[in-house]
Amino acid sequence: MGISSANLYEMKSEGILQVTSVPDISLLDNLGLRAGTQVMILIRYKLGGPVLLRVEGAYSVALGKDIAQQISVQEVSPA
Amino acid sequence: MSKKILLMGNPNVGKSIFFTELTGIHAISSNFAGTTVDYLEGRLQIGDEAYTLIDVPGTYSLNTTSEAEEVAARFMENGAAAVICVLDASNLERNLRLALELQHYNIPTVYALNLVDVAERHGVEVNDKVLAGELGAPVVRTIAVKKQGLDELIEQLETILASEGDPAACGGCAGCPSRSDNQGDVWERAREINRRVSKKHVPNLSWLDRLGVAMMRPMPGLPIAALVMALTIGVVMGGGRVLRALVLLPLVNDIIVPFFRNLFTAFLPERMFLNILIGEFGVFVISFEWILALIFPYVLFFYVAFTFLEDTGYLPRLSVLFDNVMRKLGVQGGSLLHMAMGYGCAVPAILGSRAATSQKERIVITTAICFAIPCISQLGALISLLGGRAWWMMPAMMLFSLALFVIVTLIAGKLVKGKVDPLLIEVPNLLVPNPKAYGRKLLTRMRHFLKDAEGPMLIAIVIAAVFSESGLLAMLATAAQPLVSGWLGMPAEAVSALILGIVRREMSVVPLLALDLTTLQVFIGGVVSLMYLPCLSVFAILAKEFKVRIAVTIAASTIVLALFVGGVINQVARLFV
Repeated sequence: MGISSANLYEMKSEGILQVTSVPDISLLDNLGLRAGTQVMILIRYKLGGPVLLRVEGAYSVALGKDIAQQISVQEVSPA
Repeated sequence: MSKKILLMGNPNVGKSIFFTELTGIHAISSNFAGTTVDYLEGRLQIGDEAYTLIDVPGTYSLNTTSEAEEVAARFMENGAAAVICVLDASNLERNLRLALELQHYNIPTVYALNLVDVAERHGVEVNDKVLAGELGAPVVRTIAVKKQGLDELIEQLETILASEGDPAACGGCAGCPSRSDNQGDVWERAREINRRVSKKHVPNLSWLDRLGVAMMRPMPGLPIAALVMALTIGVVMGGGRVLRALVLLPLVNDIIVPFFRNLFTAFLPERMFLNILIGEFGVFVISFEWILALIFPYVLFFYVAFTFLEDTGYLPRLSVLFDNVMRKLGVQGGSLLHMAMGYGCAVPAILGSRAATSQKERIVITTAICFAIPCISQLGALISLLGGRAWWMMPAMMLFSLALFVIVTLIAGKLVKGKVDPLLIEVPNLLVPNPKAYGRKLLTRMRHFLKDAEGPMLIAIVIAAVFSESGLLAMLATAAQPLVSGWLGMPAEAVSALILGIVRREMSVVPLLALDLTTLQVFIGGVVSLMYLPCLSVFAILAKEFKVRIAVTIAASTIVLALFVGGVINQVARLFV
């Protein structure tokens, strides 16, 4: 299978992901998370914990489960 | 007032270090009318003219969706002689977005391309010449923590201030907002400019960068968190104790108090007044003994540790690490920051909880702070009360406080209606604090403590002195005997702790130090104090920040529950002893 897409919380890829859609939250936009942004998942926390992202290879953002589930991403390149 | 120069930038780009380096330490913290977002002003000499440099709260944009953004936008609207816009070279795209928004205000700007060393390590190289062309304004490469590039920044500032109003200065530069091709979406333009000026190569991460990420993995992050907490407790309790025993107690007992005793005895022959001033509970004895020798050392070492953790960027890592646990309790990891602040003082912690994105989260945080989180002043007194008794009493009180925290947060989470927003934070790079900025913050905090605590403490102390000298205390003790002695099992004089505790939190403990208590009584005194109404200042903040109903509910339930739980422990313990 080539390119896979899913919501950020369920995405298992270790590679570079491209955000395809985000919920309308102004802080997300301020933090540079919008359609087209490239991210990598650094750490997934268990027990309903957050997802830690590296955004554009430049900075780290932690997203709670409920937000991560509303963000869809697709794989750009596998790790 | 002299002309203003605004220091603008994203949060966490090193703005405050610029401020400290450019103005010296001559800074005063100010409050923007109608908000609690603090900003600093200081004097900046450029050539022959003195300007006021304003450290505007860091923002990602000027959208005015948050208080800090509103303040920043208002500063820009009010105008200024110039803007210093600090850009984080390691994170340029997002910083450029703010830079482009600032251009719409047509204020002469110099850009400081800061953190170029961090960018280098992260594998990003920024061409400042090309960037200057894109922005149509001078760009200076800086490493503010190492004072690099600051002189050039001032030179450039002098140049643009001199050419201000000069029509020849407008050359229709590429980045000028008035050009029609610059009217599009700021994000798209920021991305485009970033693409043109940045080159990526293989990152060469430092050990600090690696540690910063490692600290967030449950392994070794959780053991590291436990270690950090243990060290913090060690620094506060150990440092506070040593400073108290070796320096402050001798200073107060051998120098300050004898000085005032001699002074007043020489001038005041009248006995009752003399006792109020320098008797056993005399104002001049107690205020130095309690504030300076008992509370101050612990407050100092708490802020030594807390400010350090804050400036390294460690605290947000705890929020991420414990988000899943906090979520189970009905809030989210971000609440931990405010609650940690509460161990210093509940007032700034409750004010800081404004940053919480939902009202429900605010109320739950505030409830937890009021019930289960002792402030450091109170902790200092508790350490003296419990620590002198038995080694296990302090750990027992910590466990009790932790259990109470979990229960109160869970119940408040269930009772308060509404929804808590999920965690959404940027995690800053881990860094070694800048000594100057760290020192300044610590100093400000200690000044605030002395200023804010001194007044109410003195009031409480005067009440205590008048009560004990006038015989009122004995009357109250008789009246409250059924509650204090019958139900709580404390000596009747302990009633003064309950009365004074309303004024200041540590005062619900300090009067107990003078009494001859059993171990059980000491523990009950600690429990009641922990849960009891925080203090008058906290009540005032509650009333100001929330609806009266909520403030009264929190305040009343702390008192009732404190007395209830303390009494139950006493009655149950009596069955076994």
